[in-house]
Amino acid sequence: MLKGKGQRSFEEVWPDMRIIVLKLLKQETVSQVEWQDLFYGVHLVCLWDEKGAAKIYDCLRNDVVEFIAHAQLKVQSQRGEHALLTTYIIEWRKFFTQSSYLPLPFRQLEHVFQSKTSSSSSGCSASTSASSSSTSAASTSAAAAAAGTSSATASSSSSGSKKNPTEDSIVRKLMLDSWNEHIFKDIKDRLQESAMKIVHAERNGDAYDAQLVIGVRESYVNLCSNPEDKLQIYRENFEAAYLKATTAFYRLKATEQQQANGVLAFMKYADAKLREEEARAKRYLEPSSYAVLAQTCVKVLVGDHMNTIIAECAPLIKEYETDRLNLMFRLLDRVPNGVDPMLRDLENHIVSAGLADMLSASEIITQDSEKYVERLLELFKKFSALVKNAFNDDPRFLTARDKAFKTVVNDTSVFKLELPTGIQNRGVKYTAPESKCPELLANYCDMLLRRTPLSKRLTSEQIDARLRDVLLVLKYVNNKDVFMRYHKVHLTRRLILGTSADSEKEEDIVEWLREVGMPADYVNRLARMFQDIKVSEDLNTQFRNSTGRHDAINIKILNAGAWARCSERVSVSLPLELEDYIPDVEEFYKKKHSGRKLQWYHHMSNGTITFVNNFGRYDLDVTTFQMAVLFAWNQRQHDKISYENLRLATELPDPELRRTLWSLVAFPKLKKQILLMEPNCPSPKDFTENTLFYVNQEFAVVKNGKSQRRGKLNLIGRLQLSTERSIQEDNQSIVQLRILRVQEAIIKIMKMRKRMNNATLQAELIDILKNMFLPSKKMIKEQLEWLIEHKYMRRDDDDINTFIYMA
Amino acid sequence: MDESENSMDKQIDDNDGTKPEKMFTLKKWNAVAMWSWDVECDICAICRVQVMDACLRCQAENKRDVMGRQDCVVVWGECNHSFHHCCMSLWVKQNNRCPLCQQEWSIQRMGK
Ligand SMILES: [Zn+2]
Ligand SMILES: [Zn+2]
Ligand SMILES: [Zn+2]
Repeated sequence: MLKGKGQRSFEEVWPDMRIIVLKLLKQETVSQVEWQDLFYGVHLVCLWDEKGAAKIYDCLRNDVVEFIAHAQLKVQSQRGEHALLTTYIIEWRKFFTQSSYLPLPFRQLEHVFQSKTSSSSSGCSASTSASSSSTSAASTSAAAAAAGTSSATASSSSSGSKKNPTEDSIVRKLMLDSWNEHIFKDIKDRLQESAMKIVHAERNGDAYDAQLVIGVRESYVNLCSNPEDKLQIYRENFEAAYLKATTAFYRLKATEQQQANGVLAFMKYADAKLREEEARAKRYLEPSSYAVLAQTCVKVLVGDHMNTIIAECAPLIKEYETDRLNLMFRLLDRVPNGVDPMLRDLENHIVSAGLADMLSASEIITQDSEKYVERLLELFKKFSALVKNAFNDDPRFLTARDKAFKTVVNDTSVFKLELPTGIQNRGVKYTAPESKCPELLANYCDMLLRRTPLSKRLTSEQIDARLRDVLLVLKYVNNKDVFMRYHKVHLTRRLILGTSADSEKEEDIVEWLREVGMPADYVNRLARMFQDIKVSEDLNTQFRNSTGRHDAINIKILNAGAWARCSERVSVSLPLELEDYIPDVEEFYKKKHSGRKLQWYHHMSNGTITFVNNFGRYDLDVTTFQMAVLFAWNQRQHDKISYENLRLATELPDPELRRTLWSLVAFPKLKKQILLMEPNCPSPKDFTENTLFYVNQEFAVVKNGKSQRRGKLNLIGRLQLSTERSIQEDNQSIVQLRILRVQEAIIKIMKMRKRMNNATLQAELIDILKNMFLPSKKMIKEQLEWLIEHKYMRRDDDDINTFIYMA
Repeated sequence: MDESENSMDKQIDDNDGTKPEKMFTLKKWNAVAMWSWDVECDICAICRVQVMDACLRCQAENKRDVMGRQDCVVVWGECNHSFHHCCMSLWVKQNNRCPLCQQEWSIQRMGK
């Protein structure tokens, strides 16, 4: 129709074009011919009229603005949020849809404007060819759109991987900017306000229409024509309004809730609301806003009430209210450093509850290692369950548990192991009391590894589990060297008396100790004992085969280096029955080995004797010292023998004789004793030269309150491995060893670093020694002084806190 | 209850005739002794380790298993000074004199 008349100038063409433009704006039906005419018209104007493009643009703007003014009138006339929003959204959607169609016929304007503004760009021909091809592309897609296909599909299919062709078009920009300018700016406050009223209604549980809020949000997002920041209008207006409304709403509600229901109920409320708002945000906000909304909610629901919430923490821990603690943990963990006060509360609780528990049972547990270890483990399990259930085994809480449990384990107030004062040769005074925990752990280990009622009651798996428990507690013990010392003593006893419940388990635990990081030289020493005992068993077999007449004797000839480093021997005059064997054994040994000397350790040897009296016949397991004492009566069965005469007969040193006699007149838990005394003495130190002892002819093994005529009895008790003096020396030797280790470690560090300040040196030192013991500041200081005095190192002349290694 | 006690009485009566003279008789004796090298000085002057322990070299080579081994033995010279055999065999390659008294080294006996 246009073509036929051959019209060319803008003034000639525009009135017809305008009719189509207005139809498009109003979403009225446009025929395919009209649609194509529009393209052609624009093409003609741009081709023949130099200023045609600008003229089209201006007229188009006038029409768009006029159309918008009309729409605004419609929207503004609405009363009430609902009507306002509904109308706005309808008008906006219409307009927005058209903003995808309308620009298409005007694509050519862009090329005209572009080539004008960027006249410096490369070649004219290139841009022309490009424009013609894109024009044809636009016209096909326009045809498709006019044929009724949705514009979105059409435009996206034509754009391919590139941008939507209309998205950055100037006509579209013109449309959106005009909308922004002429309608949005005037009513956006009303829009937001209305939308937030709907959200508010929703929060209060009233009826609401979510689609309206969503529609408003979409209009904000789509309205933006800034290609750099497409969410600018949305963020600066909608998001800001949403955050503000959220804060205002919950600031009020939080106070209300706390006043009405208390803090604990409020925590539940806060938790529920945080989740609710998270879900709501997904409906009403763009994904880019989720994080900031969450922050806002956390602040108003948790952060602003930190102090009130934390005040509840300690009481909840005390009551093991794990569910509520878990809730509190989840809430506070959303606030930076929010859980720190909870960590402190947990630590304080474990220390004070742990110590209180141990102290309340101190009477029993300091005496009974099984009860002690069980109590500790019970505490540990209780605290661990708390950390698991309340704090999901969060590493920060596990660390707090470990730190606090360490304090409990190493606490000295329940009992104290006094290490001796005054080590002479290095001028050290060391009096710090130590926890008895490592000793009791070792005792408990012994009960599990030895044939005892406890180990007989348990299955192998149960024993393994308990040994693992011991290692678990051991992890928290500062002075692992003390544990190893006691463990070695117990192992020595078990190997010498052959009382291990399971020799495989014995060796397993050595490897376990290695695995948990016990120092290699301690562990190696244990391994060496196992190997040596096997060598000794072979030797015993050979000895018994070599003579054939020594049924009553077994020998253990051990490597002194592995077993008896600092224990002293005790002399005793053996009964003839025993004495007879000695030359045979020594003769045999001399044939097997050379360059070796043998020393008899009679305080370790033991045996079984048969005791016959008026009442019955009994097998007694006894130490060699007990044997020496009892055999004194073989020549004078019914005599009363004085202490002095027993001393002459046995030649035992005074303390050993007292202890041995005491074990025969007052063996623990024994109804009838082997020996009787006259006069009765309350303790071994009350024996005098003239105290008389005689064999109890009425002795009997008593079972279930009845005297038995036959029976076995073990009188060895805890085999004495060392004399009283060497027990003292043992305690000293541990301090000596520690001093040596500290010195070694300092030298090792200094040799490597050459120069070092005090603080770093101490830190490294503690790190090196931590698997054995925790050196005290005092001990470190004294050893540093000693090393300086002996010229292993010196202080820096300019800085007394810096040490320099001297080769 | 009475019955069981009666049966016990019978048993002991049976035994009365063979009742041994002594009240206490030995049934079993487990005698314990420690051996050590018959040396004047506990410490090997070459490696500064106790002669009862394996020498430094043997300890380093077999960290874990050597501890119970018996083959790091002691050797005595005519001068009666003693060392780890391992240590001394290396020493004499450098200097055929006793490190302690400077007498010419000749082996008097070996530990076994
Ligand atoms: Zn050596
Ligand atoms: Zn060697
Ligand atoms: Zn010599």
